[in-house]
Amino acid sequence: MSVSTTWPAARGANRSRRAGGRPRRQGLLSWVALHSLGLALGLMFLLPFVFVLLTAFMSDQQALTATLWPREWHPENFAEVFTSAPMLRYLGNSLLYAVLATAGMLLSSVPAAYALARLRWRGSNLAFLLVIAAMLLPPQVVAVPLYSLWANNHLTGTLWPLIIPYFLGDAFSIFLLRQFFLTVPQDYLDAARVDGCSELSVLVRVLLPMVRPGLAAASLFTFLYTWNDYFGPLLYTGEAQQSWTLSLALASFRGAHRDTQWNLTMAATIVVMLPVILLFLFAQKSFVRGITFTGVK
Amino acid sequence: MTAVELALPTTTSQDRDHPVQPRSDRGAWKRRAPLLPALVFTIAVTQVPFLLTVFYSFQSWNLVRPGSQHFVGLRNYVDVFADSQFRGAMLNTVVLTVVCVLVAMLLGLGLALLLDRAFLGRGVVRTLLITPFLILPAAGALLWKTTMFDPTYGLLNFVLGGETDWLSEFPLASVMAQVVWQWTPFMMLLILAGLQSQSKEVLEAAQVDGAGRWRTFASITLPQLSRFLQLAALLGAIYVVNSFDAIFLMTQGGPGTASTNLPYYIYQRAFEGFDIGQSSAMGVIVVILTMIVSTFTLRLMFRAFDVSGGVR
Repeated sequence: MSVSTTWPAARGANRSRRAGGRPRRQGLLSWVALHSLGLALGLMFLLPFVFVLLTAFMSDQQALTATLWPREWHPENFAEVFTSAPMLRYLGNSLLYAVLATAGMLLSSVPAAYALARLRWRGSNLAFLLVIAAMLLPPQVVAVPLYSLWANNHLTGTLWPLIIPYFLGDAFSIFLLRQFFLTVPQDYLDAARVDGCSELSVLVRVLLPMVRPGLAAASLFTFLYTWNDYFGPLLYTGEAQQSWTLSLALASFRGAHRDTQWNLTMAATIVVMLPVILLFLFAQKSFVRGITFTGVK
Repeated sequence: MTAVELALPTTTSQDRDHPVQPRSDRGAWKRRAPLLPALVFTIAVTQVPFLLTVFYSFQSWNLVRPGSQHFVGLRNYVDVFADSQFRGAMLNTVVLTVVCVLVAMLLGLGLALLLDRAFLGRGVVRTLLITPFLILPAAGALLWKTTMFDPTYGLLNFVLGGETDWLSEFPLASVMAQVVWQWTPFMMLLILAGLQSQSKEVLEAAQVDGAGRWRTFASITLPQLSRFLQLAALLGAIYVVNSFDAIFLMTQGGPGTASTNLPYYIYQRAFEGFDIGQSSAMGVIVVILTMIVSTFTLRLMFRAFDVSGGVR
């Protein structure tokens, strides 16, 4: 397996020299093999992006050909994306959905997660199991009863059927936050209680400041999930173009312009990708901490 | 269920934090009370739609025929299992989930091992490798459909030559390629976090004791990673079972139903065929299947690695 070659070459070379056997050349060979493997894998992941970027700069005609490098650069394609479709409106909708959902998740899931993490009562394990079960539930399964509920309240065609549930609690975030809350030693909380804090102010004044990375991770996950969501907006706003989010708009961007304006489609793809990549670069650490915390100690 | 075992890794620390408290029960309840409504409410809200789905699954109900709703017992389930398209979709879902999770994990493991070493530009490479996970899945699906698989302009045919129409000749494999591409970075991030939490002393001690690279990897690194791998497989399986965007945007489940998975089939039956009863029955089956698949994948994998027990 390729894995065995991935030890630090220098260390490996030392080892074999110490073992007195193999020549040093093998270290160099494995170094080269390793780096070309890395390069190949990296290229495999990057190639589509490079292609998108290059196509985004091409002229309408050249984008239809199989050439790879733009003959002339057309940066104005990016501006045209905004004039040919109400991208700012879609961006606004995406932000509305993602930001409100994240805020709602924090308001609703923090108390629930705290109750699960710190309060023991008969049935607290069952409650936790139910949260896990809700996490495993595919959105398509409950789509029918939920859709009829929102349709009866005349909210289909807007983003509210997607936002409101986050104010009622989100199973994954509850799970994630619970794992973070469990890492805070009970003594801190007891000390606060002895000092006369109510349970609610223990939560707000003592616990929350200590689990700031957890709050960041849960927010980041919720933001990313709602920003990426395609099924939800498709179901509730598919017919109502004024409520489309970027995901939906991007998929239809191509539909509306057929195959003729690939350069614009690609430019739109980049416009849509950028905010999340920037967000990630700022929040990389808490994101990684978030995924590793969900189950691993 | 494995999911639950995984979800409760902190029980011991919790027990430690909760020595049996002989305080008055009434006082404890007074403190608890403000928090319970949030929890009870949340659980009700997340479970009620599912209970409704279970209820609908015992009804014959098609929106095209108003007033047709009546109780039919298990007939929807019988019909669903007799439906060969449903069985095809079920098989596709299992193949899609198992293959994608395993391949993405292996690639993720390889990349994580590479990134665990110091080399020039590691930070840049890591960020670049993560990008597929960060772009909109809808954008990712379109990107593969147009830049990679298109018979005339696609990179695959540009490199390999020929005029293969990938999405109609190998629809499921094409979708899987996109899903693997999307999920490998996630696996890589998780496994990398596991690798970087290894203690350097133990690794060096193993070297001094004359353990080879493969030996060190198999008996020290892999057991250490097992929790991270389990978690990666579980989260990956939960999301991949639910794949919808890629199929909807790349193949529309076709040609025919060659690349239809269960979420997509349920969506079609409920929102294009308006058969509420049957689509609800399928939904209930999917939930059960999700649990089986995530458990099964984990079991299989850990038997293969034989690293499940004993570590920490």
